Amino acid sequence: MLDTRRDFLRAIGVVTVGAASAAPASAAPAAGAPSPAAASPAAAGDKHRFAMVVDVGKCIGCQACTVSCIYENAVPEDSFRTIVSTYEVEEAGRAAMVMLPRLCNHCTDAPCIPVCPVGATFQRADGIVVVDADKCVGCAYCVQACPYDARFINHVTRKADKCTLCAHRVEAGLLPACVESCVGGARIFGDLEDPKSAVSKLVARGDAKVLKPELGTRPHVFYLGLDERLTGKVEGEPTLWRPSTTEQHT
Amino acid sequence: MSILEVVNVSREVTWLPWAVQYFFLIGLSVACFVMSLPGFVLDRPAQRGFARLALIGALACALVAPVALLADLHQPGRFWRFYAHPNLGSWMAWGAFFIPAYVGGLLVYAWAALKPDFYAAGAQGGADPLSRLQRTIAFGPRPVPRLTKLLGAWTLAFALLILLYTGMETMVVRARPLWNTPFLPLQFAATAFSGAAGLVLLIGRLSGETDEAADGLAARWMMVGLVTTIVLGLAWFAIGALGLDATHAQALASVADHRAWQVTAIWAAAATVLPLALLWARPAGWSWIAGLLGLHAAWMFRWTVLIGGQTVPKTGAGLYVYELPLGHDGLLGIAGTLGLWAFCFVVLTIVVPPVRAADRGTTLAHA
Repeated sequence: MLDTRRDFLRAIGVVTVGAASAAPASAAPAAGAPSPAAASPAAAGDKHRFAMVVDVGKCIGCQACTVSCIYENAVPEDSFRTIVSTYEVEEAGRAAMVMLPRLCNHCTDAPCIPVCPVGATFQRADGIVVVDADKCVGCAYCVQACPYDARFINHVTRKADKCTLCAHRVEAGLLPACVESCVGGARIFGDLEDPKSAVSKLVARGDAKVLKPELGTRPHVFYLGLDERLTGKVEGEPTLWRPSTTEQHT
Repeated sequence: MSILEVVNVSREVTWLPWAVQYFFLIGLSVACFVMSLPGFVLDRPAQRGFARLALIGALACALVAPVALLADLHQPGRFWRFYAHPNLGSWMAWGAFFIPAYVGGLLVYAWAALKPDFYAAGAQGGADPLSRLQRTIAFGPRPVPRLTKLLGAWTLAFALLILLYTGMETMVVRARPLWNTPFLPLQFAATAFSGAAGLVLLIGRLSGETDEAADGLAARWMMVGLVTTIVLGLAWFAIGALGLDATHAQALASVADHRAWQVTAIWAAAATVLPLALLWARPAGWSWIAGLLGLHAAWMFRWTVLIGGQTVPKTGAGLYVYELPLGHDGLLGIAGTLGLWAFCFVVLTIVVPPVRAADRGTTLAHA
């Protein structure tokens, strides 16, 4: 499976050459698309555990992921399934911008699941935590329980909403929209059950961090190069900009 | 090192003022019901006047509380899914079963406890609709003391479960250190009792049935509630300030440096100490003010915990901004709940016969 946008672009070249040399091109997967068997748990019947690795050093804070997620998932105004938190960190007289893309962590022990009074929130066999909109009552208990502020009540559906790792795209053999649109190739998506996947290799290096590890939620969004001081609740000056037009600027 | 948050998302409050109203009203109802037990179940005639006032408070609050809770679902018509797809690992799911069991039990308990009063009032009256209604409700002259006790036990069990689930529902949320404390269920209960005692004082005055004995009992319940609230608050603060527990320390640190929370702390201290001073000194007109202050302390505690708690970001810096909307998700919802409560109270005080002179305490005095 192709893990990042760069892999996708590389693959275009490979497939273009391949298409010229192989006559039955129509029998092959579409250009750049990962094998459906590799991406779709239902199709393959194999065990999958999808995860994301975020290389903080490669993120430029362009918010392309934020915007593509909104368009892909029809996220209503003033709500976000993912956003790049941006910090100016000053130390020893030197200032630097630090980006921290945030999204649902698709935790193995997700605190949002047991609290749901109607079992609308659940974890699929491939590790993706989703909300069954037909069951959700909009009580927002899961919103309270998520330690990462990754959930919200959708103003249109009036139900709990969150990142699904673009499960609909993954099932179709595509990358999540945020991964596909990431300019710097900072977001890497893949299957931890596949030892050859980029995410497996990066996580296996052992230097990836997760957010709020002390809570024991076992997140499946891993961060490379993340400053320890940003893994929890960030102690700093509050934000200068707020997304809502109705809220005060502080 | 300093960190300046340049871009982040501001999450909205999702447990709306409706939730505060629910926690407030159901707490008052449960506490009022418990306070009614000595008079109706434990056969203490001296407390019957007080118990009747408490029971009216319990009924009015119990009828309105579920409405506020339904409104907080963002789409009340979905409530049936609590019963169609219950996840019994969730405290909220259990609440969906406890609430009707409690409210249903309370209604039947109130009928059993007030049955003799309904019969006496209906028999004294003529053919007017109210007397006929009272006779119908009485359903015969025979008192049902054993049934009252049985229903009292049933309702008490579910009343305690209501206190347990509302406390646990918030306590288990580890994502919010301010909520994730074993003190919270006890604080909800203690403030419910001080608020309920305040409500009984007010009901006595609003219904024109003031009774010094009842006022004295209400004052005693309120003092116990307020002192317990203060002790629990100090214990919570001490554990956080001394760093005896990481979660409590984290909770305190998340709010201690913010001016808004400092003012809230002073306000909360005043809201508990002032009514205590009033109850001790008892100047003229103390019961009106003490009643209102007791209710205020109970409501403010829930507002601070539930709404204030949601303004503390889980990952970001500072506090989220919350402004009370004027519409149904804000001020209108609060006013609407109060209006519905007033309607229920008026209906109850019309239908439930006035307290009999024999059931009153030592002195009758209209405020």
